[in-house]
Amino acid sequence: MGKGWCLFFLFWPVAAVASCAMAPFVNWSFPYNNAQAASNLGIRIDGLFYLILVITALVFIGTQAILVYALWRSANNRDKRAMQIHGNHKLELIWTIIPGLILLFLSIYQMNIWADFRIQKYFPEAAVKAPLAEVTGRQFEWRFRYPAIGKKLQQKPQSDDLHSVNELHVPFGKPVLIQLRSDDVQHSFFLPALRVKQDALPGLQIPVWFEANKPGIYDLVCAELCGWGHYKMKAHVIVESESDYQKYLKNLTQQQFYDGLGKIASQEASVESEATEK
Amino acid sequence: MSVLNPSPTGLQPILNPQVHHGPGNFITKYIFSTDHKIIAIQFLFTTLLMMIVGGALALAVRWQLAFPWESMPIIGPWLFAAEGGQISPEFYTMLFTMHATVMIFLVIIPILAGTFGNFLIPLMIGADDMAFPKLNMLSYWFMWPAIACFGLSFTFAGGPAAGWTSYPILADLAQAAPGSGTAQTFWLFGVTFIGFSSMMGSINYMTTIINMRAPGMTFFRLPMTIWGLFITAILQAFALPVLTAGGFMQVSDRLLGTCFFYPSGLVINNAAATVGGGQALLWQHLFWFYSHPAVYIMLLPVMGMVSDMLSCMCRKPLFGYKPMVISMSAIASLGFIVWGHHMYTSGMNPAVGMAFMVATMLIALPSAVKTFNWTATIWGGKVQFNTVTLNCIAFLSMFVVGGLSGIFMAAVPVDVYFHDTYFIVAHFHYVLFGATLFGVFAAIQFWFPKMFGRMMNEKLGKTHFVLTFIGANGTFFPMHFLGMQGMPRRYADPYLHGYLEHLVPMNQFMTVCAIVMGFAQILLFINIFYSMFFGPKAGRNPWNATTLEWAAPSPPGHGNFDFIPMIYHGPNEYAVENGDKDFLMQNEKECLPPDKKHDSDTEKTESSD
Amino acid sequence: MRFGLSRLILLLLVSLISLPGCEQPPVQFVFSKKTNELMPEAAKPVKEALLKQFGNPFALNQFEDLPTDFGDIQGTVKSVETTEKDQPLIHFQVTGLENTYHKLQGLPLEWTSGKGQGQVSRIKSYDYETSTVTIEKSAEIAPQPGETFLVECVRLQQGRDLYNRHCMHCHGMSGEGTGPTSRYLNPPPRDFRLGIYKYTSTKQTSKAQEADLSRTVKDGIAGTYMPSFKLLTDDEVSAIVNYVVWLSIRGEIEKKLDDELFLDYSKEQLSERTSEQGGETKEEVLEELKEFMELDFPDTLEFATSSVAEAWEEANLEDAIVIPETPRVPDTPESRERGRKLYLSDKTKCATCHGPQGRGNGTATHDFWTNPATNQKYPNRGLHDIWGNQLSPRDLHRGIYRGGRRPIDSYRRLFAGIKGTPMPAFGGSLSSQELWDLVNYVMSLPYDGNR
Repeated sequence: MGKGWCLFFLFWPVAAVASCAMAPFVNWSFPYNNAQAASNLGIRIDGLFYLILVITALVFIGTQAILVYALWRSANNRDKRAMQIHGNHKLELIWTIIPGLILLFLSIYQMNIWADFRIQKYFPEAAVKAPLAEVTGRQFEWRFRYPAIGKKLQQKPQSDDLHSVNELHVPFGKPVLIQLRSDDVQHSFFLPALRVKQDALPGLQIPVWFEANKPGIYDLVCAELCGWGHYKMKAHVIVESESDYQKYLKNLTQQQFYDGLGKIASQEASVESEATEK
Repeated sequence: MSVLNPSPTGLQPILNPQVHHGPGNFITKYIFSTDHKIIAIQFLFTTLLMMIVGGALALAVRWQLAFPWESMPIIGPWLFAAEGGQISPEFYTMLFTMHATVMIFLVIIPILAGTFGNFLIPLMIGADDMAFPKLNMLSYWFMWPAIACFGLSFTFAGGPAAGWTSYPILADLAQAAPGSGTAQTFWLFGVTFIGFSSMMGSINYMTTIINMRAPGMTFFRLPMTIWGLFITAILQAFALPVLTAGGFMQVSDRLLGTCFFYPSGLVINNAAATVGGGQALLWQHLFWFYSHPAVYIMLLPVMGMVSDMLSCMCRKPLFGYKPMVISMSAIASLGFIVWGHHMYTSGMNPAVGMAFMVATMLIALPSAVKTFNWTATIWGGKVQFNTVTLNCIAFLSMFVVGGLSGIFMAAVPVDVYFHDTYFIVAHFHYVLFGATLFGVFAAIQFWFPKMFGRMMNEKLGKTHFVLTFIGANGTFFPMHFLGMQGMPRRYADPYLHGYLEHLVPMNQFMTVCAIVMGFAQILLFINIFYSMFFGPKAGRNPWNATTLEWAAPSPPGHGNFDFIPMIYHGPNEYAVENGDKDFLMQNEKECLPPDKKHDSDTEKTESSD
Repeated sequence: MRFGLSRLILLLLVSLISLPGCEQPPVQFVFSKKTNELMPEAAKPVKEALLKQFGNPFALNQFEDLPTDFGDIQGTVKSVETTEKDQPLIHFQVTGLENTYHKLQGLPLEWTSGKGQGQVSRIKSYDYETSTVTIEKSAEIAPQPGETFLVECVRLQQGRDLYNRHCMHCHGMSGEGTGPTSRYLNPPPRDFRLGIYKYTSTKQTSKAQEADLSRTVKDGIAGTYMPSFKLLTDDEVSAIVNYVVWLSIRGEIEKKLDDELFLDYSKEQLSERTSEQGGETKEEVLEELKEFMELDFPDTLEFATSSVAEAWEEANLEDAIVIPETPRVPDTPESRERGRKLYLSDKTKCATCHGPQGRGNGTATHDFWTNPATNQKYPNRGLHDIWGNQLSPRDLHRGIYRGGRRPIDSYRRLFAGIKGTPMPAFGGSLSSQELWDLVNYVMSLPYDGNR
């Protein structure tokens, strides 16, 4: 009977490891079918993730194996009494110091990545000099405010700013900075593909930088409970070439200042475009 | 009573077992009792009832995730008949808010501190009751205003809907969410009441453990259970006031028009612009300063209890008693300086985040040490595979997963990705359900004979265990994958987003496992209530355990012990040659020679040795 | 007593099976307040007519005279499964439905050939994987392989499913604006049943164009809880708009029928007529009603339906759109000054509602106004919209433009007014240049430094 239980406790770690091993092949791993992160920082984050995964996987397999083995031995223990032992100082030291060192190593290893991500001193200058847009989360959508073409983004809205909803265009291959704020409650700017996340706090304006390295259309979702429509705050971030991006801004300018007469240059193949006039 | 020898610790039992009179009628004996054992059982029944409520709410959440917008069983036709049974999004926000609230504040914390703390502390240290019996009774009765407040909050605008973390500004301003009106105010009152209950308990436990130990019961002879409960009580005492203060500030924001937590100029739901001047981040600091130690409050007692239970079931002393104690203390103290790891992406100063990261990494260390010690306890033991053991091993096994997933989240860059996704949900369900709740199941099975004088049914216990274990792993392990896929928490309909559409089958699998797990708890209830009246009678020490409570009658009468306990050595003396037994109880002075037989059950210590 | 494993399993099964409420509760379209205030004998034909023309949310009906894109699909019976005599259902495999929307449960199925030609069955269930349709057995219908049929309302059902997922919890099952979430929202969600939409590009007397509604869905309405639904594809938006307009049409037809009947046959009217002063008996009233129903009601219904349908069709024509006669006057300080003068003038009286500085605090917000529908004064001060909600004039300094922030949008607000609200139409009284001056002035307010 005891052996049966040992196998029971062996079965589930094996299933866990098996499902983790097959995860990348059945789209259970990183999103977009385990695509590489679409930003350079994201790639570094993934690297750190895999490092930790390897360490924890080894620890998991080791611990579970030893546990099951210990149970197996105990179940088969025909001795009159168990081992009478209260502890082993040396063993305690070993299994305190080694994990301690591993954890310390992990702590120090990752500091660079975090600093590059969030410490303003290390933000790329190019991005800081020319913020792309102000991103405002509100219940329940994302509103974007670009500066007029050729102008710098001001903190106060200007009459020639370009406004858009739920659709952020970003040029790829260069670092960009957005100013994140919120109109009402807390939201969170989460780009799963680029591994970017930052909470938007009302009353604060938080600079967030990222560099997209792959063109494409990525989901932008809200990652901080903001009310009943939290799940609906779906927006798209469209990463495109610099020229396409400039075209987009021009088109947006034309649409925004449309006076009902004349034509607007139609947008090229954008999936979700604002409904244009007849 | 006769003269007592001065004990090595210089402590004398404060109260003489004969002096107390028993309480009077049915009301004072069973309803408004000051006897810690009755209070513990009251806590047990109440928390089990609350577990049903919390579990039902969880099943509703899982239903919505598996079959989004389809008619929800029972609730749909009852509350949303005009919509064809389809729940509304704000109802969903209430579901997960109250699931967490009920489970954390009304189930886990009271069952650990209230049930087991109350029952075991006097018995294990040799006292006849708690230091403050009336305060103890109040601590139980304050649960009911809390339950009433939470229950009332459901009736106002559908219930609190800002998450159990109740972040302003969503929770702070009535116009920000439907449930942030009166419902949220009642929620805050509920948390305050349950806070009072916990606080009273914690003061009681600390005082009792420090002052009322039997002669010979030095601190390093205390069973691990008591260490766990003691350190938990200290955590409660220091952390809870901060939550209460934060709660008062939020109540005052809502009722008195203060602006602790919201800045000026916000126009929400086209209400008047806020006057403001405060910061939303302040709440997060206050809240997590309590809620991080709270998770250790929900873990440490179980760690202690599992240590004692494992040691007993493996018939082997606990490996590394002192390191275990030091680890628990380390977890508790480090627990006070890691709260920022819940706030890495919150807009807090990133440099501070770095500091929290180092502390959080370090806190994994004592937990790891404890895991190794438990495994070493099993190694070379003679394991009896009964319900208690199985649940303890499940604790160990699933705690490993919970702890390891914590390392991902401790790493700040990785947490940037995982924060507020299902990876976090997986982590805390593994530690709260996988570790704590399995430990609780083990503890119920283990101490049931002492509480009620009867044994619980083994077959039912094992069946319950298997179903729960499979259900729990099936429900919570895939959450790691969901988190990796970037599925955010608290989404009523994640499949709106293209990159998550393919996750429906996985969610359906998890829901089925959750239903299995939920219904398996029926077995537990049957086991408890049936065995309470019809289970086979148990003697004083059915498990052949060494700690002091097993020397008292089952169930102990008023005053607990029918002799004056004297302690001679540590709590886990197994694998010894003691006549025909392999264990030496704490109040047994020394081992008998191998040929001598013991008097079972009616054995008492000789106080004149 | 000992517990065997078998008893446990049984116990678990029993609990699982007894899960009540797994079936979806039946849902009906709601009827308006006025319909419910008609005397029952008058309300019944109205309800029946609506049921016939529109059905219920999960049992849609296709009525050809409406401008809705019902999206019916032709299919052919491939094979019929044999069933027992006493089985109530028939299952048969079909072709022709592979590339369509595959949730066809509840739709009407009109037979176009064979014994049951002209009859309409209702699809009880449809299995997309095996292309199997299930209908209830009936005497007139015996499907044979090779027979053809028309599955009706497919596109409408697609719209309905999208609507229920995204819109229903605010706008309600019938588009009546009282979904579960609606009571918390300010302003409350639109009641579609009046067929009036505020932010349109059409003239004052025209209905909204489909493009307007699509824009509202895609861009949302800034400053309200109507979010932007860019997450939907163009096709999905069009399906939703199609369904919403259909709900509007239903509401409008109901209103027209109610208006015809209410004066004479409301419950209140009935009690007055049969009272001392009225002098009629109930039988006399019923007799009168019966005559009306036989002779006039069919025409009334037909007229109601066709007039509503025509109005919606006309709205989608090009000449319904408001197009300025002149391009936008350049946004200069002079233009803004002219606009400001116009704003304060008696010609427009903007300041009466919007206040002298455009902060939405004009004197009109203190007056008691009369409800045009009931001819009685509103209980509270200030302005109201046609749906009965209290309305504040816009604070023009906030920079929130609910109908869109393009200059043409503001122009259209001024030209055609905001339908359903006290915001009047100035298209007739102001020239195109004057309107542009006003637009320039108004759109400069958020940036004039006096927020």
